[in-house]
Formats: sequence, structure tokens, C-alpha cells
Amino acid sequence: MDRKKMKILVVVDIVILVALIIILMTLKGGYEEQAKRTANEQESAYLEQNTQVLVEQWRSIDQYSMAWKLVHTVLSGAKTESAFNTSLAAIEADKDARFKQVSHVYTSAGINDAVQNGIFQKAGLAEGSILLKNDKNSKEVACGKDCVIKFEFAKGKLKGLDYSALVQFNLANKLKIEKPGEYHFE
Amino acid sequence: MNLKNISIALTVLVFGVIAMLFMQKGNYVNQAREHYEATTAKSFKGNSMVLELVNNAIDMNKSTWAIACEALQTVKNTQDMARLEAKFFPATKGSNSIANKTRRFEASSANVLLSTFAKVEEDKKTGVKSLAGLQSVDVSVLLGNVAAPVAEESADEGEE
Repeated sequence: MDRKKMKILVVVDIVILVALIIILMTLKGGYEEQAKRTANEQESAYLEQNTQVLVEQWRSIDQYSMAWKLVHTVLSGAKTESAFNTSLAAIEADKDARFKQVSHVYTSAGINDAVQNGIFQKAGLAEGSILLKNDKNSKEVACGKDCVIKFEFAKGKLKGLDYSALVQFNLANKLKIEKPGEYHFE
Repeated sequence: MNLKNISIALTVLVFGVIAMLFMQKGNYVNQAREHYEATTAKSFKGNSMVLELVNNAIDMNKSTWAIACEALQTVKNTQDMARLEAKFFPATKGSNSIANKTRRFEASSANVLLSTFAKVEEDKKTGVKSLAGLQSVDVSVLLGNVAAPVAEESADEGEE
């Protein structure tokens, strides 16, 4: 190669080199920012998804707890429709007692107060009434996820009570923490 | 000659920088993936544990409630109560307090029932005392009230 061609090559190399370094610097910041952002977004989405499962579990346990308390109260006292109505209203309204009862289950499971409070702050207590059906002689009460118990009354007196769903209550097959998906750099 | 060396060196450098260009993306992606995997794995493990522990605690809780509610409908005396307890917890037995006319059943410290009976009965042949006439089943421990009802005098088992 003659000297002239060499000179051209050196000049071209320098130009390409400078251009590449500029591209390198520009992309560097972009990649770094994009990688951090996409990782954070995907982490937040996954954490939120898990939190929702624990929120649903907490609210289910609140309904479950109220339902047991209601069954016990009705069976302990006057077994009448009016006693049912009074007990249900009192149980739903006493939010401190509801929290205490749910917290008791979590404490007995070995879940510490900090974790419980974390879930409670997101979940609160179950929304709305647990009374699903309120016909004159027939009541249906929610007792957690996919759990319903039934009270039958005749002339204001308790005639039938089916709380088998509470005895068989099991969330293990209904709520699941999904494994995290793959990270995507988009 | 000198110029030739320079141009070769520069050309090598150009290819080197091109290689760096491709590698730097991979580095950032790997760093981000590691962070994502560490964070999500921790969340998966922690939250799965909470879910499972609470579900397990419910098993014992619901059985204790079931004893309380079934007792209110079917139990007449401590013999009936013992049979009911054994149905849900074959390995755990309650204990009678003849003096207080109560029977305490403790599946665990968080799952306690205290049943109150109306009267003491005595088997004339064996002299064993038991309680009859169920009046109430106290579930205050299940409701989360810290002070557990205590059967002060944990006396004879009564029946078997």
C-alpha cells in the first residue's frame, strides 16, 4: 500500500473512532437508564401482583372470621331471625374486633406485627356486607373466597343452618403466589 | 512504515470499540436481570410463606370453631364434648374443672375453648364425676382476646 492510501486509512479510522466513541457515550446512558427502568417496572408489577394475593387472603380471613362469629353468636343466643340481623350488624360494625380476630389468626401462624400491618394497610377490612342473600326466610352469608353459609328461618325461628363451607374452608387451592417471569429488556 | 503501524493500530482500535459497543448493552441487561431476579425471588419466597403459614393456621382455627358451634347444637355433657373434640383433634383432650363446672380444650395456645356446664354428675359405680347441661362455649381466645379463660383447677379427665 502506498503512503497516500495509508494516510487516507488513518484519517478514516480517526473519523470512525471519534464517531464510535460519541455513539458509545450516547448509548451508554440510554442503556443504563433503560435497563434500570425496565427492571424497576417489572419488579413493581410483580410485587404488586403478590401483594394483591395477600390482600385477598386477608379480606377472606376477615369474612371467614365474621362468619364463624355470627354462627357462634346465633347458636349461643336466641336462635331467631331478629337475633341474626342484630348480631350480623354488630359484628360487621365492630371494626376493631374484626381486625383483632384476623390478626389473631395471623399471629397464630407466626406472622409478625410488622408484616400484618403492611398487609392491613393495603387490604383494610373486607368491603361491603357479608350478607349476600337476604330473603325473608333464607339468608346467605359470605365466609371468604368461594365460601357461602346458609341460614334458614321459619316464622322468625332458626330452622336450618348449613355452615359446612366454613368447616371445609381452605384457601390453599384458591390463592397462589405465581413464580416471577423472565426479565425483559425492551 | 511508521504510518503503516499507526493505521493498523487505529483499525484494531476501531474494531475494539465496535466490540465494546455491543458488549456494554449486555452488561447493563445482565445487571438489571440480576437485580430483578434477586428482588422477585425474595418476594416470591416471603409472600408464599405468609400465604402458606396462614392457610395452615386456618386448619386448626376452623376445627376449633367447628367444635364450639357443633357443641352448642349437640353436646349435653362432658362425655359428648370429649367425643366431639376427638373427632377434630384425635391427639388432644380437654380437661374438666369440676369445681368451676367448666371444661377447657386447648388445641394450641391460640385455639382454646372453655365450655361451661350447669351441674356435676357422679357415676354411682365408679365415683367418677363429670359435667352435664352445656350452657355456653367461650370463644374469646379465638376472637383474639389476649387473656385466655383459665380453668383454675384442672381436675380429673372425667370420662374416657
